[in-house]
Amino acid sequence: MKTKIGVLFITLMFALVLSACGNGSDEAKELLNENKNTEAKDGLKIAISVDPDGLDPHRTTASSTFVITNNIYDTLVKVTKDGEIEPSLAASYEQSEDGKTLTFNLREDVQFHDGTALTAKDVAYSFERIKDELGPRKDNYAYITEVNVIDDYTIEFKAESPSASFISDFAYPWAAIVKDGADETLKKDPVGTGPYKLVNWTPQDKIVLEGVDHYNEGQIQNVEFKMMPDSTAQVTSFKKGDIHLIETTGDVVDTLGDATIIEIDNNSVQLMAMNLENDYLSNKKLRQAINMAVDKEELINAVWWGYGKQIGSHYPPVLKGYVDTTGTYPYDVKKAKALVEESGAKGITLNMKLPSDYPNYVAAGQIIAEKLEAIGIHVKIETIEWGTWLTDVYGNRDYDLTVVGHTGRIEGYDLLEKYNSTRSDNYFNYKNTEIDDLLSSIKVELDEERRMDMYEQVQTILAEEVPALYIQEPTRIYGISDDLEGFSAYPIDVFELKDLKFKE
Amino acid sequence: MRKYLLILSIVLLLIPSTLGLVSLFYTPYPITQMDLGNRFSGMSTEHLLGTDQFGRDILSRLMVASRYALLLGTVSVTLGLFIGSLIGIISALSKKWISMIFLRFIDGMLAFPGIVLAMMFVVVFGDGIYSTLVAIAIFMIPIFARLTYSLIKEQQHALYIVAAKSIGLSTTRIVWRHYLPVILPRLVTQFSASIGSAILIESALSYLGLGVVPPNASFGLMLKEAQSFMLSYPYLILPSGILLVITVLGLNLMGDTLNDRLMKLGDTND
Amino acid sequence: MKEIIRRIASSIVLIIVVSFVTFFMLMLIPGDAVEISLGTEATPERVTELRAALGMDAPWYTQYMSWFTHALAGDFGVSFTYGENVTTLLLSRLPVTLSLMLMAIVIAVPLALTIGVIAALKQNKTFDIIARTLMQMGDAMPQFWIALIFLVYIAAQIEIFPISGFTPFSESVYGGVMSLFLPAVVLAFGMIATLIRIVRSSMLHSLKQDYMLMTRVSGVHPVRAIIKYPLRDALIAPLTVIGIQISGLISGVIVVESIFSLPGVGRLLFSAVLKRDLFLILGLVSFIVTSVIIITLITDILYILLNKKMRRNES
Repeated sequence: MKTKIGVLFITLMFALVLSACGNGSDEAKELLNENKNTEAKDGLKIAISVDPDGLDPHRTTASSTFVITNNIYDTLVKVTKDGEIEPSLAASYEQSEDGKTLTFNLREDVQFHDGTALTAKDVAYSFERIKDELGPRKDNYAYITEVNVIDDYTIEFKAESPSASFISDFAYPWAAIVKDGADETLKKDPVGTGPYKLVNWTPQDKIVLEGVDHYNEGQIQNVEFKMMPDSTAQVTSFKKGDIHLIETTGDVVDTLGDATIIEIDNNSVQLMAMNLENDYLSNKKLRQAINMAVDKEELINAVWWGYGKQIGSHYPPVLKGYVDTTGTYPYDVKKAKALVEESGAKGITLNMKLPSDYPNYVAAGQIIAEKLEAIGIHVKIETIEWGTWLTDVYGNRDYDLTVVGHTGRIEGYDLLEKYNSTRSDNYFNYKNTEIDDLLSSIKVELDEERRMDMYEQVQTILAEEVPALYIQEPTRIYGISDDLEGFSAYPIDVFELKDLKFKE
Repeated sequence: MRKYLLILSIVLLLIPSTLGLVSLFYTPYPITQMDLGNRFSGMSTEHLLGTDQFGRDILSRLMVASRYALLLGTVSVTLGLFIGSLIGIISALSKKWISMIFLRFIDGMLAFPGIVLAMMFVVVFGDGIYSTLVAIAIFMIPIFARLTYSLIKEQQHALYIVAAKSIGLSTTRIVWRHYLPVILPRLVTQFSASIGSAILIESALSYLGLGVVPPNASFGLMLKEAQSFMLSYPYLILPSGILLVITVLGLNLMGDTLNDRLMKLGDTND
Repeated sequence: MKEIIRRIASSIVLIIVVSFVTFFMLMLIPGDAVEISLGTEATPERVTELRAALGMDAPWYTQYMSWFTHALAGDFGVSFTYGENVTTLLLSRLPVTLSLMLMAIVIAVPLALTIGVIAALKQNKTFDIIARTLMQMGDAMPQFWIALIFLVYIAAQIEIFPISGFTPFSESVYGGVMSLFLPAVVLAFGMIATLIRIVRSSMLHSLKQDYMLMTRVSGVHPVRAIIKYPLRDALIAPLTVIGIQISGLISGVIVVESIFSLPGVGRLLFSAVLKRDLFLILGLVSFIVTSVIIITLITDILYILLNKKMRRNES
């Protein structure tokens, strides 16, 4: 307390002296103003619950990393809030007739945080790095066979075959441009071209960012991400005014008072996957029965407080090309019971492996299990820790049922490709030649209308065959203190700090 | 005055034991039965303690949780007691180098961060009460081992032991006939208090997601589930929290009074 | 003396064995850092490939030997998650956890000594009963429960206690103390009852010894007599359980650090285990085991020395 009064006193004195001697001088007034500005309108604090998995965008798949790095690095193009592609580091780009070549013209005024200018070399290096053996997304970019630096500000990418997701592949935060020669120390010392640079990162405590001068269009200068693992602590801090921005859950929305609540459709799908290797689950009738046994609306209300949109297939409504398939198997316990009877699965026991690190999935699993008991299917719930889940369920496909979520992409294909029977991440063990064919055609189809047509077909087939119980596209809920404005999230799980401003 | 403490501890312990016992034959509702239309209902005649986030009856779950807590506590501490005192006896009575190995083993177990160990067990044994049980037993082993070791060392030079040795009794016989009667009361005292800590360890493991798993019911799990609604439904943390405190307090006070009794007995023996 | 040297030598062997066992167990359990880092966003083949690229496909004993030889030279490897040296990470966290534990001890020990001693002197009087019951109640509450109640009903209401984070003492001593006060109280709750029990029974035990009768017979003032023998015994009695107390503190620390968002060693260890950050786990476990063993060693020696001295004084 004492120190606070002391600081206040000294500041006051300082201000008085300044105004006294600088009377009439614009400089002093400006200084004073600036002082006031930084005090009243700076120092944004955001709560995060998981530490980033390093700050190197090319070496992780964790969205906790991209929330931060998206503000430190730039990409060649970026995606707008509506899912359209627009130029970013590239001033313009051009795709050849055959769809196999993309040429980017880079902006010439871009600098890295250390002062070096961005050239095509940096871009070429970045993609070399994304495609090398340590890059987790290596496979996603394997179809790009050539990267040619034409001149300092022109670069050309060549693909082995035309690809629907060619341009959008340059917009993801993991396609960030790093400096030529950057090495593995990027994990803790990121150097990018983005609007913010890293001041310091104390793991599990805070990440401090500072605005970069040449971007300065009134963006908030000092930003601090506070790591707070406990959600009660986050909300309490927010209410106390220590934190300006939190991501929260439906049950506390009403308790947040004056705060602005922003709901954003989160481009992802949450589902209960079924393992079609299981003799009973390979029977479509049983899968239909399972789908009819669960009232999705009730489920979403119970677990997510109603914040979420029902889905009927592996496709989030926010994505282009979505068709509503939620009506395919409406909630009908009687019919479900009859179908179980028909499929000869009455009285069987299925195991359900739930990832304990995700309490919502565990909760949803419990509810679904109750509903399945009601139609004569016993469920043995097993909660396992995430690391084990990845090995057992995702890797070895040793499960009957599981509840999990999948992050979305800009182009639907990237989300759907795991249904291809040859994919190693097809943990549903789903095999359908029709889907295989459709997916291969989508991949090379450049005409948007025809592509959307095929997306529709895929969705209809999945909704009919139900290799999973598709639950919902979740809604992200952000609590924002009432003096902050300009917040919006993008369909790739990130938000731009530079959009945020304190109100006058 | 001391009598009151004993009575208090018995009264406290009667609550979870009765609930637990009754749960063997009867619970108002099946503990996993959900009623999604009736979530977070407060106290009512239908649900005496209200319902939780799935509309499950809190009283029924608490009854089963009491049973689990006492069972889990007793079994895991018994396990810890047996293995621990065995290690303690061996290290106190065997040759120097064997004793050294066992003592270091105890040190190692005591020093090893329990959470890493618990995690391993959860991962290896998978879900369920067994891994929690083993994890807690492992917490207990070094405590009992150290206690037994020091108790035996204390007695080692006592006249009656020296006498027993001099007439050539075998070590096993000495342990059975002479050491055990002396150290057993102390172990029993520790036993009672340890059940309390076992229940607390379970709740800490539950908070970290390493304890008893849903849809089972345990104090720790119920408390953890309730704490995520602490801001929207704060009263939810009360039923399981209070019953947990009652149980552990009862066990600790019991240990305390036993300890006092014991000291008195020891004094009269002298 | 010989005994002490032997004990130190065997402790060193123990630490090596512990690191080995930890490593071995981590190899056995499913899931590794690569798998968790890639999650459901990459194919299983990519996991295998990346593992190979990072040298994680080598047989476990080769990996262990390479870690061990580096560790001997003081290099504990680089954390997979943070890309930072394990030693650097540990050193940056240590002040938080040490201050937290120290503060908990500073709160718990004097309180336990006072209550324990008075309770023993007034055995079975109202003070004894009430004080013990109250303290037992504190001991009977799960730490995360108290912590959350503190957070929502104290930290949220009272300005001087921050809800989260740690203010380094180098920045502000006052801020540092305040940021650790509530978490330290929670930890103190967990150990105070045991301490009181030990102090009290040690007091009771010595009060009944023959030499107390002697002092009374020889006309020493009762207060002086108490100060001279039983009180001394009672003061060193907690030393016997310090090992158990510290290992208990460490599990409490993880919970408390998570709730009050303190960047300490406990939380670092917990997240390292969740992410299977091999080198970080090995480094932290080795460090914790080593320090607990050293502390137990020191307290054991101290206890023996103090006891001897006292016995000598007695005769």
